Amino acid sequence: MLLLLILLLPLLGFVFLGFFGRQLREPLPGVIASALTGLSFLLVVAAVLSGGASWEIKDWLPGIPFSLVLDHLSGYMGLVVTGIGFLIHVYAIGYMHGDEGFSRFFAYLNFFIAMMMTLVLAGSYPVMFIGWEGVGLASFLLIGFWYTEKVNADSARKAFITNRIGDLGFLLGMALLYSLFGTLSIGELREAMESSTVLPLALGTAGLLLFVGAVGKSAQVPLMVWLPDAMAGPTPVSALIHAATMVTAGVYLIARSSFLYANLQDVSYVIAVIGLVTAAYGALSALGQWDIKKIVAYSTISQLGYMFLAVGVGAYWIALFHVMTHAFYKALLFMASGSVIHALGGEQDVRKMGGLKKYLPRTHLHGLAGALSLAGFPLLAGFWSKDAIITATLTYPFGGTGFYIAGLAVAFLTAVYAMRWYALVFLGEYRGSGKPHESPPVMTLPNDVLAVGAIFAGFLALPEPLWNFIEPYLAPALAHVETHHMSLGVEWGLIALSAVVALVGLYLGYLAFNRWTLPAWYRTFQSWSANAFYVDRVYNALIVNPLKELAFIFALFDSFLDTAFVALAGLSAWLGERLARVQAGYVRVYGALMVLGLVAVLVWGVLR
Amino acid sequence: MSAFDLIAGVLLVASALAAVTLRNAVHAGLALVGNFLVLAMVYFALEAQFLGWIQIIVYAGAVMVLFLFVIMLLFDAKADPGLDPLPWMRPVGAALAAVFFLVLAYAFSRLGPVNPLADVKLAGGLPGPVGELLYGRWLYAVLLIAVLLFAATVAAVVLVQPGVRGARKKPQVAERERELEEVGR
Amino acid sequence: MSYYLLLSALLFAIGLYGVLSRRTAILIFMSIELMLNAANLAFVTFARNSGNLEGQAMALVVIALAAAEVAVGLGIIVAVFRARSSTSVDDLAELRG
Repeated sequence: MLLLLILLLPLLGFVFLGFFGRQLREPLPGVIASALTGLSFLLVVAAVLSGGASWEIKDWLPGIPFSLVLDHLSGYMGLVVTGIGFLIHVYAIGYMHGDEGFSRFFAYLNFFIAMMMTLVLAGSYPVMFIGWEGVGLASFLLIGFWYTEKVNADSARKAFITNRIGDLGFLLGMALLYSLFGTLSIGELREAMESSTVLPLALGTAGLLLFVGAVGKSAQVPLMVWLPDAMAGPTPVSALIHAATMVTAGVYLIARSSFLYANLQDVSYVIAVIGLVTAAYGALSALGQWDIKKIVAYSTISQLGYMFLAVGVGAYWIALFHVMTHAFYKALLFMASGSVIHALGGEQDVRKMGGLKKYLPRTHLHGLAGALSLAGFPLLAGFWSKDAIITATLTYPFGGTGFYIAGLAVAFLTAVYAMRWYALVFLGEYRGSGKPHESPPVMTLPNDVLAVGAIFAGFLALPEPLWNFIEPYLAPALAHVETHHMSLGVEWGLIALSAVVALVGLYLGYLAFNRWTLPAWYRTFQSWSANAFYVDRVYNALIVNPLKELAFIFALFDSFLDTAFVALAGLSAWLGERLARVQAGYVRVYGALMVLGLVAVLVWGVLR
Repeated sequence: MSAFDLIAGVLLVASALAAVTLRNAVHAGLALVGNFLVLAMVYFALEAQFLGWIQIIVYAGAVMVLFLFVIMLLFDAKADPGLDPLPWMRPVGAALAAVFFLVLAYAFSRLGPVNPLADVKLAGGLPGPVGELLYGRWLYAVLLIAVLLFAATVAAVVLVQPGVRGARKKPQVAERERELEEVGR
Repeated sequence: MSYYLLLSALLFAIGLYGVLSRRTAILIFMSIELMLNAANLAFVTFARNSGNLEGQAMALVVIALAAAEVAVGLGIIVAVFRARSSTSVDDLAELRG
């Protein structure tokens, strides 16, 4: 029941605010929504402290129970979702101040939290799918929150449609698993897998299909195009959904199914490669963006790529560790960006910012903490988790040296674009007009909390021989993977190497975007990067436009059919008009028709 | 085929044609009476004497007198009440009638041969044997006919009952009639 | 003896033509009587051809039937005439579709 309450509290908020939110005065809907989310967070904390819980409705669907499970994995994830979600709710009270859809916004946010917790607490794939679709819907609603702008509505549709491809993969994967094992409960599947006699090929296909679902939800190559456009929504949405929680659902799905993927080396390899490609693509695209939120958005894609690299090599707990640290610093970066946008009255172009250190001291500190954490500045949260991923490519079974080198290179890029973001926004001279003003405390206080997390969260799991709380905590819920240990010297040497890489990247970025005038080749790269390497245009040419042509042809065919049917209807109308004339009311006409029928019957009878 | 048959046939067809084509309703009725009388003669020739007398008394007598009486009562001797709204009905009717005749003739032409002892068996169709048949096997038919005649009598009385003319006409009908009259003018 | 059968068919067809071409109710009625008599002729001829009296019995029934029909039919005609001062069937066109 406790578990159900975790879902129902935000859902109650959604229903209540949806029906009565408009009657409430301004801060009240936000306060209610935040309180409910905070309550939900406290419940998760209580459940985690009590060591886990589970709850189910038997025979929800024929043979499929509706089950919720709070084990170490979902408890950990639930803490991240409700905790960060609560902070973002509070922040949004300030950010959405004066917006017409104030209560609607909080209704959507609560709906999102409810659905995300359904996804996280699900004890079986169908239940997870409900949450999966629910967060997709919430994402759609929130991206298109300011739906009167066509761009926003288009972005919302793009996100929804792109996600649909992934959802189809999820659905097919579920169907395949069900046909193989006859159950979709995650616990039962896990047991069944241990004594499995199923063909590895079928299992691999199922794993791959589930991964397609994860690719769609977590914006991996090639379904990453929706995430940058999703920044059309209000900034708290970007922070909550498109950085901290929802997009990590794919990682969570893979981690939840780790018992499946741990046995599938080939699929894991595919996951790792796609993760790496995504990480590189996101980092390169982030370098050229001019929109403050889009830089952060592409960095999200890149970081998600890292997470998939981690689950791909088998380091499931590290991926989840990165999910947490990333949630802190990415939410912080987004909300600092939001704070900047708020301060500049809606300006999002970094070319019109600069020098904001002076005007926004608190926000500057937040941005600095977030950017350094993202860049992997030594001892900050991002440093520990990212370093753990890069090292894991060497120690975990599905990894390899190639992954290590590429990961390190992307880490360098990460440091460069993080510094570029920071330098363009906060350093140098102010290039805009108008007077920036610091945000209200309701917005800066949550950021303080997030900043603390972004700085210190990494200390929860430190490399050997220091303490590590997260790995043993998550171990019972994840598949056991054999790792080979390296000597402490090598390990710390590699850590030092990645620290040096991050520092060099930061320094170079500082020089490049604050001091140097950039060379010509960089400007070419810049224009490519700013357009995200024209992936959208390629997709338009290869998929969207042919589909449009096809739709046009179908429409032609349809209109032809339409015309035919109209003609048919016209024919019967014409016939009806003719026949109506026969009903002239003249008895003799009726008599003649009767005789005609009589003759016909007689002829038939005679000639039979 | 004897001379009687031929003359009877010619008379029958001629009087029938006259009955359906003559312009004057009284003349047409009289032609029909003639037709029925010739038919009675034919019945006599076909060994149906009782039927022949009935034909003369009931049909040519009572029924046709009734017809003529009604024609005269309603001053409706003219066969053409103004302009024909369906002028094509005449040829179409003729064509339909011709087709009907051809089909019937074809059907009759395929009947079996005549029973040579038939005239002996019929014994002239006198009332005795016919009566035996009617009150024997046909009793129920006769009873039903009795009921029908009774019902018809009642219906005729109800339909032409005097003094209910105004009540019988519904307001809508009166309205419609006024409209028709106006259009007609 | 199929001569009288042919004759009956011809009389029937003439009656049919009359029903279709006549325009006053009384004359249509008379045409119908003609058709009934044509049918009677056929019955009588059948009786004569097969030596069976039942045909004549049937003709008697038809005559009785015709009498009943005339009673009702003429009653209707008189009633209609009272209501409309006409016996033309073309005026009875209220059921026009």
